Amino acid sequence: MLPIAVDAMGGDHAPGEIVAGARRATDELQIPVVLVGRPEELGDTGDLEVIAAGEVIPMDAEPGTSVRTMKDSSMIRAAEAVRNGQASAMVSAGNTGAAMAAALLRMGRIRGIGRPAIATPIPTPGGLPTTMLDSGANAECRPEWLVQFARMGTVYARDRFGIERPRVGLLSIGEEAGKGNSFVKAVFDLLTDTGWAEAVSAEWIGNVEGRDIMTCQVDVVVTDGFTGNVTLKSLEGAMRALTGRLLVAIDTNDATRAAGRSLGPALDEMVAELHPDSVGGALLLGVNGVCVISHGSSRAGAITAQFGLPPRWCRPVWSITSPPRPDEFRFRLGLNRSARLVWLERGKCRQKRISNEGRWDATRY
Amino acid sequence: MGRDEVLALVRDRLADILEIEPADIGEGDSFADDLDADSLALIELVEALEEELAERSVGFRIEDEDLEDLRSVRDAVDYVVAKLG
Repeated sequence: MLPIAVDAMGGDHAPGEIVAGARRATDELQIPVVLVGRPEELGDTGDLEVIAAGEVIPMDAEPGTSVRTMKDSSMIRAAEAVRNGQASAMVSAGNTGAAMAAALLRMGRIRGIGRPAIATPIPTPGGLPTTMLDSGANAECRPEWLVQFARMGTVYARDRFGIERPRVGLLSIGEEAGKGNSFVKAVFDLLTDTGWAEAVSAEWIGNVEGRDIMTCQVDVVVTDGFTGNVTLKSLEGAMRALTGRLLVAIDTNDATRAAGRSLGPALDEMVAELHPDSVGGALLLGVNGVCVISHGSSRAGAITAQFGLPPRWCRPVWSITSPPRPDEFRFRLGLNRSARLVWLERGKCRQKRISNEGRWDATRY
Repeated sequence: MGRDEVLALVRDRLADILEIEPADIGEGDSFADDLDADSLALIELVEALEEELAERSVGFRIEDEDLEDLRSVRDAVDYVVAKLG
């Protein structure tokens, strides 16, 4: 298997956390990785190969311009490694727009696709994940692109999750056909009239609402990248807030703490299933190569998630992604190790330290 | 490389990017208004032209500060012809 080209300089915690995650993937899971970045800044890379790249595209850089002017950047070099057959895929936690532009310009587009889209699997309690796209590659979209997103999302959901006839919905503010702004209405008409669903064996179910995403009522949700990104981060925030509040409730008194210890394993499982990071990075669909875009705040300790990709687009590949959430939450429950819980309460940031005995030591800062 | 050849090259690459027929691209067409080409499509075009023309003219490059002046197919052709000398 060709190695995965990891943009070691991309992300809020690069390169340290990215390199650590890449080493872990290689050491523990035997996933071949080649790092791309400034060799002198990468620290101890172990036995990993390094492709030298002298520049770093900042997180706030304008995507098109930066890709044009920073041709020796880690992101561009990673995309070129895929294009040139040196790597099977690229992974980046850097500037999302730039990653999209780099992949688009170096790997090329799949014919029939105006713009690639980020496909994010959203955890669903008791069911298969719902795939949402676009999760942020294109803040502004044309209506016809969302039909393309629907087609790509259908193929992805079928090939990755085995859903034979994925149900596809359009994210709107109501289920009725007339709901939404002018853009959503234009997309609705296109999705209703163009016969795309029959072509890819999808079931077009019309508008869906944000509350439907984490249910089993829909398999693929299409939206523009702006709305998709806002939705994704809202869900992340809600999940974190809910988890934090649950832990506070568990810490109410001795009885609830005892109950928390009993519920610990089940809660661990729930958190592992529903936490946004449990699905790892998201695939950029529509480029002629494999590009995985990770959260900008990705840390190492990295878990790996396998991507079962559409075989006609690319070869199977692994990706290196976000934090070891299940462990982190187990620690936070105070069952076996010291850890710290941080949350917001009435607008103030609070934290609690969990001792080895599972007791809490609250402080405010 | 003559002007006609440059025009054919620009049409060909642009048609490939926009997935339309070269014959549907007129020399006077505006990228934005007539061809519906957005900024990323133009960057695709510029990169494709640079790659193609670098083989004929070493170091051929379309300067980023000039991009905003390229608003039509004719602008692009004139620019490339001038750069090639």
